[in-house]
Amino acid sequence: MKKNNKKTSKYFKLSTIKSLHKWLSLLVFIQLFIWLGTGIFFNWMDHDKASGNHYRQAMVKQDIDHQRLLDPQAVLTASQSGASEITLVQRLGQPYYLLTHDKGLYKHFDSLFSLVDAYTGTVKEIDIEMAAALAQSSYSGSGKIASTSLVVPPIEDFLKEQNSLWQVNFSDELETSVYINASSGRLVGHSNEDKRFVDFFFMLHFMDYPLFGQDAVGGFNNWQISIFAILTLLFCLTGLIWTLELLIKGRYKFK
Amino acid sequence: MSLHRNSRKYHKWLMLFIGLQFVVWSASGTYMVLMDIDYIHGDSLVVEQKQTIVPEQVNYSFKQLLTEHPQAKKIELGLMLNKAVYRFSQNNEKVTVSAQDGQIISPISEGIATEIAKQNYADKSVVISSVKLITETSLRELNARHLPVWRVDFDDFASPSFYISAYSAQLVTKRHSFWRIFDWMFAFHVMDYVDESPDNKLLRIVSILAFIASIFGLVLTYYRLAPTYQKRRKGKSRRVKLN
Repeated sequence: MKKNNKKTSKYFKLSTIKSLHKWLSLLVFIQLFIWLGTGIFFNWMDHDKASGNHYRQAMVKQDIDHQRLLDPQAVLTASQSGASEITLVQRLGQPYYLLTHDKGLYKHFDSLFSLVDAYTGTVKEIDIEMAAALAQSSYSGSGKIASTSLVVPPIEDFLKEQNSLWQVNFSDELETSVYINASSGRLVGHSNEDKRFVDFFFMLHFMDYPLFGQDAVGGFNNWQISIFAILTLLFCLTGLIWTLELLIKGRYKFK
Repeated sequence: MSLHRNSRKYHKWLMLFIGLQFVVWSASGTYMVLMDIDYIHGDSLVVEQKQTIVPEQVNYSFKQLLTEHPQAKKIELGLMLNKAVYRFSQNNEKVTVSAQDGQIISPISEGIATEIAKQNYADKSVVISSVKLITETSLRELNARHLPVWRVDFDDFASPSFYISAYSAQLVTKRHSFWRIFDWMFAFHVMDYVDESPDNKLLRIVSILAFIASIFGLVLTYYRLAPTYQKRRKGKSRRVKLN
């Protein structure tokens, strides 16, 4: 047994390991409990509730009259800024051509669209009435629309969103908010109290704290979590070495 | 002192069983937070496309398309290698047709898939190491809804692969070694060793035990560092020295 002890001490001092473990525990314990607590919460939580889609329903689609559809060539020629895509979409049962002028790699990236009536060719702006009507058609609850406003990033309910959105708030027990892309009229998503609660726990787990003038970004690439992650890794490794030492020394035995 | 002694005992024993998972959690967590998530997604591998549709290329209209393919859903006019094409869904499958004359283009050939991959890849000096058609998958990195796809591997740092859908002729997935490691790290982090989802029973049991073990650990930290107990410990060791 003494032999083993000498062997390990060649590579590192066990007393240093133990003292490191002690002091690191003091540095990381609060965040460690937050990680474990929120981790257990994610494991237990109701994943359907967390999606924020309690009152979300599919928007109704109407049959469209093919024969009345405008020639896309004419739509392209009429458009001042060129388009990389034209999609035949429906908004409130009406067919529109959705022109993509500028498109990011993902839907939430900075993009620019415009809507053109597919029968008449008139440009359709998503105004406040249109936004409210679109939100209403995606909502299955009994709440009434309490307010509608245009919001710009950063948007608390969708922190990664880079586009301006219409926010339509419903007066229901879940405080449902519906978001509509301001240039395309696309439904971005629903949010409610349940989702906000889960988002708060993610903010804690990712250490995405709005600290020192920086905002929460909805991700985990920040300097504070990088530092704590490395400290915690050291903390766990020193603990593991300690456990191994106890094992080698034969300190694990039933009495 | 029974709380102190018991805490030491329980901390010691619990950590014998779950200590290794603590190392796994902290190591995988460290990897995930240190890696830039946009890099992991492979966003920097892709070049931004700025082309617009040339109106003269569109001689086939939505009206004609819907007459020939009445079942077509989600129709979009877009680009494939700078040529205007229509893409639509039919019986849950994507179809690509030329916007010049409505001719069906999909499924695309190996040559076209290679060209599309090249056009999307940011670094033009990189050569392609292999191209193959994938019709079924058990790979973690490819969602089965994209099938069939052409997998185009690039001879570049971290072995990037672009997946080009044979039906929609679009880049649908991009992967590289660091994504693959990240995926494993996430699996270790949520302990999906047997069960695939983050709400698995194993994770639940181990994380609750981990919480309890940590509370005992915190008690030990208190006894180690609290001034009154420090004095007692020091006094003790001095006595030993005198012997």
